[in-house]
Amino acid sequence: MARTPGKTETLIGYAILLLLVVTAGSLFLTQFRYNAAVLTPNALQPESSSPSAAPRPDLRALAPEGLVALSQPETFGPETLSEKIDGKAELYLAAGFVQLLTQRFSRKGNPQAWLEFFLYDMGSSKNAFAVYSVQRREDGQRIDLGDFAYTTEDALFFVHGQYYAEVIAPALGKGAAEILPALGRGVVEKVKASREGMAELALFPAEHLKRETISLLAADAFGFDRFRSVFTAQYTMGDTELTAFLSQQARPAEAAELAAAYHQFLLNNGGKEVKPGPGLSGVRMVELFGTYELVFSQGSMLAGVHGAEKREAAEQLARVLKQRLSGVGT
Amino acid sequence: MDRRDFLRRAAKAGISIAAAGSLSLWLHDRVGPGRGEEEGELVRVPDFSLPEIGRRIAIVTGTNRRETVGRAIEALGGMEVFIKKGDRVLLKVNAAFASPPTLSATTNPELLAEVAGLCLKAGAVSVAVSDNPINDPVSCFTLSGIAEAARSAGAKVMLPAEGAFRTTTVPGSTLLRGWPILWEPLRGITKLIGLAPVKNHHRSGASMAMKNWYGLLGGRRNIFHQDINTIIKDLALMVRPTLVILDGTTTMMTNGPTGGSLADLKQTNTMIVSTDQVAADACGATLLGMTPADLPFITRAAAAGIGTAEFESLRPVRLSVG
Repeated sequence: MARTPGKTETLIGYAILLLLVVTAGSLFLTQFRYNAAVLTPNALQPESSSPSAAPRPDLRALAPEGLVALSQPETFGPETLSEKIDGKAELYLAAGFVQLLTQRFSRKGNPQAWLEFFLYDMGSSKNAFAVYSVQRREDGQRIDLGDFAYTTEDALFFVHGQYYAEVIAPALGKGAAEILPALGRGVVEKVKASREGMAELALFPAEHLKRETISLLAADAFGFDRFRSVFTAQYTMGDTELTAFLSQQARPAEAAELAAAYHQFLLNNGGKEVKPGPGLSGVRMVELFGTYELVFSQGSMLAGVHGAEKREAAEQLARVLKQRLSGVGT
Repeated sequence: MDRRDFLRRAAKAGISIAAAGSLSLWLHDRVGPGRGEEEGELVRVPDFSLPEIGRRIAIVTGTNRRETVGRAIEALGGMEVFIKKGDRVLLKVNAAFASPPTLSATTNPELLAEVAGLCLKAGAVSVAVSDNPINDPVSCFTLSGIAEAARSAGAKVMLPAEGAFRTTTVPGSTLLRGWPILWEPLRGITKLIGLAPVKNHHRSGASMAMKNWYGLLGGRRNIFHQDINTIIKDLALMVRPTLVILDGTTTMMTNGPTGGSLADLKQTNTMIVSTDQVAADACGATLLGMTPADLPFITRAAAAGIGTAEFESLRPVRLSVG
């Protein structure tokens, strides 16, 4: 038969419960005292390649005649990428990096004339475009190796399906202009790659657009941690430069909520609410440190104008962007 | 339950708790996980600075690195002020990548050769050159031209061999607690000079004199990229160099720290030599089109008392060569 616990039993019970609470509290607080040194060198040792990586291409088979391997091929996964490219690894990791395959080649009989070939498997062509676009050199010359490819005087950069490729050749000397495209063609012709469409590329209004500036920001666009996979494009309107942006969301409600969240983020960071001009219903405008931010949703598309110095130009671009998105029924 | 039963149960519970506590205490590792027996005791990087010289900076413009660095050091009193007869000098270079010197991702070999030569001329008995590129150090030192430049100048390259690392804890630091550093090249030296190029850096905004000490870290150092500004400040706390030489002759303006094309570079024709690594970086920031306030690691290092971000307050010696 059950009986009422005595006073001593109750006190002991409470003491034990208190002890458990104190222990749990201590564990909770201790976990915040991060000590990087606790991670031993081998704790994060990666696999040599990610299990989701595509079959590894043989880079030697892609090299044109006259080039010989100067080093063994090397493979880097997400945990070892920084060993090869140090602080730039974060750029690739944020964009879905899967695997890097790299190898150095030299001219036959002249090891001093060499190049290094980097083939990044980014998992999807969209991810590959992201890392390609944000590193694009302004004075690069377009080259016929697919939609996204250019050369500089000493290097080749291009996207092939889920791959982003770099051929770095400042030590190659004369003949780079022939060898680099040949190497690129080897990749395009021999490496199987998957492609996916990027509908956003065609959604930027064409007038005043500098098409070669279209970029894809994989994460933390404009410092807002909820802005992922945001396409940006530069416009020149009169004497001012403007940035328009687009980001496809799953549903209209998500796009609307994200637009509201970004608006709030701007206000929380010192922005001042500004009433937009005519033809901009549903557009939120904020003045921040003397620049204008406009954001809105149209269907499932999030869109806006970022960091504009001139209000009128920003409003005009937002208006055109809104009309364009409305016209294509996003 | 009667009183006797309660006491019996309470005793059993007490014994169980005591046993669990004792077992936990016995299993508790007060030292924490180690990284191998070779590390032994904690080491601390000595202070190589020369307080009697104070905080000084020279900024020399020109295209010829040998001339600009020579004039800058001369403007601070000459290498003899910093290097005395019998000194054993370590030149900490940036050899992070196996890329050719033309890409300016690594310490320029000509600059290295000139500084090594000046140290030896000033009376140094030995000059060593080191860095920990992690991936393929031999290729990094060879293809960057650093190995050949060191050899030709009479300096010795010290590669980060296994067993060259020891564990350190930096007092006052946030992240550097029980972390392995490249210790062997630092052992027994009397002077330390950092030689770094001015570069854009994807994570920290810039890689200059203070970030150059990152190459002394061992272990899985990439986790520090999550808090790059703090680790750079911590590294500057750890290393008090005799001198830093910040090479802004050709600055990597974009796509750093690797670069990859001459299109990433700009001729800025500036050599910065300073006893204050924070001031050197503050000056270097201007070559990247930034202010020191744009780079949080500079403001944090200045706040930690490592140096000054107000490099103009040091009344820089400004010269032009050629």
